[in-house]
Amino acid sequence: MPQPDPQAAAGTPHDVKTAVLVSSGRHPVSGRAGRAREDARAVEMGLSLVGADLSLVHAGDPEQASLRESLEGYLGMYHGLDGGRPGDERDGQLSLLPLRAGEDAVPLLAAWLERSGVRLALTGQRAECGEGSGMVGYLLAERLGWAIATGVAAIERCDAESVTVLQALPQGQRRRLEIRLPCLIAVDAVAEAPRQSAFGPARRGRIETVDDLLPADESRLDTGSAGWQWQPARARPKRLKVVKSTNARDRFKAAAAKSSASGGQVLTDLSPEEAAEKLIDYLRAEKILAQDDQ
Amino acid sequence: MLQTLLPILIFAALAVGAAGAVRRIRLWRQGRRTPMRWHRLALMPKRYLNDLHHVVARDKAIAHTHVATAGGFVAAMALALVVHGFGWRNPILGGLLLAASLCMFLGALAVNRRRIDPPPKLSKGPWQRLSKSLIAYSVGMFLVSLPLVGVAPTVLGGGVLAIVLAAVLVWGLLEMVVGMGWGGPMKHAFAGTFHLAFHRRPERFDDNHPDASPKKTHDVHRGSRSTALFPLDLTAKTLGVEKPADFQWEQLLGFDACVQCGRCQNVCPAYAAGQPLNPKKLIQDMVVGMAGGSDAGYAGSGHPQQAGGIEVGKPGFGNHRGGPTDAIVPQLVEAQTLWACTTCRACVEECPMMIEHVDAIVDMRRFITLERGETPEKGAAAIDNLIATDNPGGLDNASRLDWAADLELPRIQDRPEGVDVLLWLGDGAFDMRNQRTLRSLVKILRTGGVDFAVLGEEERDSGDVARRLGDEATFQRLAERNIATLSRYRFARIVTADPHSFHVLGREYGAFGGDYVVKHHSTFIAELFDGGRISVTAPTQAETVTYHDPCYLGRYNGEFAAPRQVLAALGLEVAEMERSGYRSRCCGGGGGAALSDVPGRARIPDMRMEDVRETGATTVAVACPQCTAMLEGVVEPRPRIRDLAEMVADALVEPTAATNATSAPSQSREEEPA
Amino acid sequence: MSVRRLDPHAERARRNRLHPRHHEFARPAWRWTSADGVTRINPHALGAIGPNGLKRIDRSGAAVEASPVGGASTSAEPARRQVVIDQPEGHVVVVPELPEGRLNDHDRDLFGLARQLADGHDLAVTAVTFLNGVSGFEDAGADRVVDLSAMVTEGYDPETRLAALVDVEAALSPRHWIFADSLPDGGDLGRRLAARLLPQGASQGANASVGDARPATRVWQLSEGQTLSRAGDRQDILRDVARVLLALPECAEPVSETRHEARVIELATMGGELSSAANEVAASGVIDRGRVAVDPQEIPLAQAPFILSAGRGIGDWEGYHHAARVLGASEGASRVAVDDGYMPRSRQVGATGTFVTASCYVAVGISGAVQHLQGIAKCQRVIAINNDPSCDMVKRADLALIADGDAVLAAVCERLGQPRDQTGSDGSWTDEESRHAAA
Ligand code: SF4
Ligand code: SF4
Repeated sequence: MPQPDPQAAAGTPHDVKTAVLVSSGRHPVSGRAGRAREDARAVEMGLSLVGADLSLVHAGDPEQASLRESLEGYLGMYHGLDGGRPGDERDGQLSLLPLRAGEDAVPLLAAWLERSGVRLALTGQRAECGEGSGMVGYLLAERLGWAIATGVAAIERCDAESVTVLQALPQGQRRRLEIRLPCLIAVDAVAEAPRQSAFGPARRGRIETVDDLLPADESRLDTGSAGWQWQPARARPKRLKVVKSTNARDRFKAAAAKSSASGGQVLTDLSPEEAAEKLIDYLRAEKILAQDDQ
Repeated sequence: MLQTLLPILIFAALAVGAAGAVRRIRLWRQGRRTPMRWHRLALMPKRYLNDLHHVVARDKAIAHTHVATAGGFVAAMALALVVHGFGWRNPILGGLLLAASLCMFLGALAVNRRRIDPPPKLSKGPWQRLSKSLIAYSVGMFLVSLPLVGVAPTVLGGGVLAIVLAAVLVWGLLEMVVGMGWGGPMKHAFAGTFHLAFHRRPERFDDNHPDASPKKTHDVHRGSRSTALFPLDLTAKTLGVEKPADFQWEQLLGFDACVQCGRCQNVCPAYAAGQPLNPKKLIQDMVVGMAGGSDAGYAGSGHPQQAGGIEVGKPGFGNHRGGPTDAIVPQLVEAQTLWACTTCRACVEECPMMIEHVDAIVDMRRFITLERGETPEKGAAAIDNLIATDNPGGLDNASRLDWAADLELPRIQDRPEGVDVLLWLGDGAFDMRNQRTLRSLVKILRTGGVDFAVLGEEERDSGDVARRLGDEATFQRLAERNIATLSRYRFARIVTADPHSFHVLGREYGAFGGDYVVKHHSTFIAELFDGGRISVTAPTQAETVTYHDPCYLGRYNGEFAAPRQVLAALGLEVAEMERSGYRSRCCGGGGGAALSDVPGRARIPDMRMEDVRETGATTVAVACPQCTAMLEGVVEPRPRIRDLAEMVADALVEPTAATNATSAPSQSREEEPA
Repeated sequence: MSVRRLDPHAERARRNRLHPRHHEFARPAWRWTSADGVTRINPHALGAIGPNGLKRIDRSGAAVEASPVGGASTSAEPARRQVVIDQPEGHVVVVPELPEGRLNDHDRDLFGLARQLADGHDLAVTAVTFLNGVSGFEDAGADRVVDLSAMVTEGYDPETRLAALVDVEAALSPRHWIFADSLPDGGDLGRRLAARLLPQGASQGANASVGDARPATRVWQLSEGQTLSRAGDRQDILRDVARVLLALPECAEPVSETRHEARVIELATMGGELSSAANEVAASGVIDRGRVAVDPQEIPLAQAPFILSAGRGIGDWEGYHHAARVLGASEGASRVAVDDGYMPRSRQVGATGTFVTASCYVAVGISGAVQHLQGIAKCQRVIAINNDPSCDMVKRADLALIADGDAVLAAVCERLGQPRDQTGSDGSWTDEESRHAAA
């Protein structure tokens, strides 16, 4: 995918204050804390847009042991910026909004965004731990009256009024959207891969705790999730091919056919034309080629 | 007239040379300081005469030439100082001076002959001039010294000839004495002297080191194989080497000692494959960086695919510039050059000046990875996986034993009383091909009645790849975790089929508090044979096999014999490749090179397979999962690739049969050397 | 689907229990769905009396196949029961995705979920669509259909759609909203709506009744009045059914036994206060600037949905590239093809290259080294075209065509009406032609 260079196209977007809302990620295999994949892509997008001017924010429990580990992952991405001249590089900075368990992050984040004058906020589509509902961005946008766009694969252009992005559609397709600032952009998993998180910059990056955003007496408890039961994710049962038949034999045959198909069908003694026909038929049956290609 | 001129010339040359030397020393001292150990200067003569010459003597002709030239020069210089400098004109000393000059002259003639049509590994430029200068010096010194023994052609006393003679002598002195201090080719002698004294790895010269080989021929490594990378202090201000001044001063000194002999270039697999790495040029780049300037003065083969090219004597250098406090990458050395290295250590093994290329390369990689975050893409992915899942494939570490579900491997967790052998599986446990090797190894251990167990999902990657890719942070984290795990269990030794794990566990964990007896499976199998605990059937049909020495088993750890012993025990004739043993050519898979995958003209494993084919072997025995993977990647038809363990397992006589067929010694466990 | 015609003769036999062939026609009645959506089985209606006087139940289905119930369309498509809900207590609204203007499997699952929520509570399942002329709502399980196509424009305009949905909320006050949790479509709209419906500040507590106002996302199961949603960090959340549900594919079985009315209703007639959707458009924050054409070759290999991968068996590389263009496939390659310099390294598929996730992977002339097979482990369908029927790729493939790769690709292009310009770069053809000309 060609990644347009937003800076070149738009002169300087540096006056648009940009921030990334990052969360603590969980590795899909090991469950270990680290960068969240989509958030890391959002940081990458932000860094290539405004360089080291990018600010990071996270609302989380500062006591949590693995927190620093995952947040350092993002700070470690502050390298190769500003023309890549060493010495010029500025270290990353992250605002940590302290949040105890059971508190709601939205009012905090909204207050921070308002106070810091951010006009373009980037984030992943869904957190990798906690509820992972992907609602935070929408709630923030609703609360602040910002525009929001999801599934963004790239930022094409950014000026003081609006930002032009490419939205990812299934199968590698793209749609161009123009979004009025201030806005929130949820970055898709197909956006430009995040740069490596390096140990040195991660170590140097600063994490600054901001804890005077809301009046202390205001209740921030999140009661919405009171009645929920959390349980380890169960494997979802694989659905057998649904056969619209009340006939046991047909259903059985359909179910059995699926499992035995792993061996695959081998067609020998084909002329190239026959093989081509089989191939095209198969691709059409699987809806990979349009039914009528002419 | 010469009588009055000579002392002036000699002392002037010495003074100017000394001024240059001081400047040179300052250049070295730009590096990171370490405590000075002056007493090491005393070690220099032994290291020079013994260790260095053993390496040089791998090429007899050069050794003789060097002894004659260098010995002659040192003697002639010392005598000239006494005789001409201080004016103690003793005829006996004069005679000795004449002899020394003659000796040097003969050596210089040999040097000169080699320079008529120099092989491509040698540099031209000033090095081409050096042989002439040597002749000039020796001839000049010879002629001015003739009067001392009374055969003075009186014509030398004055006139044109005297002026000519003085000029020749000045030329010689300029090259030999002034040039030594001011960076001419003779710099190597001056820098080399100090380099040998202050070498960062003194164990390499320690003949009495427990690791040192008892045999002392030119072909064996002399001191210990000091091959562990130096740990990096992760709290340091900058991590790794960004600019030449970030090297330790001994390293800078070492670079300066290079004689541009090109032996490293000749053995480097990356260079042969046309990847943009020439270890000799790399060392010269470091010298350029240390002194400041551009590489325009370089007159040898460059890095393939880069400006200057590999042909000697072609202009084109000068694009790469550096300075002691300027970043090395990419102005002076391109990143690809560093990532092409397989860390095979062939260059280090071959270098007569004992220069440590691999240390330098890894130091620079450390900066790129830890500070710049510019590890090649696949390498970075592997590191991310190591951080998240403890294995480079990003696989569930709990599935490390999935392949062995039917083998019911004993777990060390169930053996609190301890076991004899802890079988370290390595990341090959995730690789379908290597699982065959591991199965074979398990079969051998069982047949041999070995009391062994595995760590299972508690085993993590040893950290080898992370470390070679420069990610010392991840390496240290893995090392600490592995050491913590190992400390919970009791075992007499670790056996592994992976030379990389073998090296890291055995040699590099020590610096982090993990000291273990680690054996490579080839060594262990050889011991089982020796102890009569396993026996094999004779091969049914004669087959030519050859053996590929893995770098991390051979050059890194000196184990050349055991694999050959195992093959001999199998009754197989080994047709050695031209490059085998300590000169073995890398498979191309070490040091993360398979991940960085720098494009070249050829692929390293293909070249290695060519080596195999030349022996006519139909099977190549290997002893490393990485070598197996790299060599099996060569397109068929090609010789079969089999791990030693597989070959032994296939020929194994089952224990019941063993008691019937052969009178194998008792297989009780008590006999084990614990 | 064929319409089941009533066979009067069979109907008569079915009603008349004394009819000699009654049991043949009565058979389908052994199982039906009751009004509350539970499947009922009458074991007595099953089976036949065997020769020894014992009842035998043949579960193989053979007898059914033999019986001529329903004439020609025997058991292919069982009859659906018509369900009509005249005066619903309320609505369960489903907003289907309708990609390409049709209901897809995910949509049908949503309706299945909606039916589980609606049946037994006298609720109507109401489909809300932004397109008109969509068919199939009857079988999918919609009792009502709200067509909002007049209120929105074509293209991506989530804000106008949200406004329209707010109108629906005002008019119907649905018990539940069901969206497909797929981005950037249903998942986006559903979250927008959920954020809008959640009273400002409600997320902060005080008002305990908003618990179910928080949307349930990634819902994958409904059981015993509670939903399971997949949360982060390998956890599930079990909670009461929320007002807004964003459900994953296969969250429920699609409706298969009933047919519904799909009666179109007008919002205006439903009362409630309608905001004008058109007003909102002026303040639009997101403007669709149209689709961007994407060259399959520029989709990163790891995301490409359809890959035509080439190995050593390819001789005619021009032909291969042409075939990839004609098929609209992204190009992939085996390691050897890359090493030999025919393809760039970035196109290498396998454990040593890129792990691909294509839904369809066509391997031409690739024998299938272990590393390569590891790299395509996530591909849903693999097609191998290879001369060698014994190679590993053929064993792995779902469909293997034993033939010459170059020739098959050429034939494919031909068949798709885009043969390669034969007189151009293909030397062998011109050679042959000139020989013909000479003869
Ligand atoms: S580094 Fe060593 S082997 Fe290489 S050219 Fe210099 S002296 Fe010779
Ligand atoms: S270690 Fe091996 S690959 Fe690296 S420079 Fe030395 S010889 Fe070349």
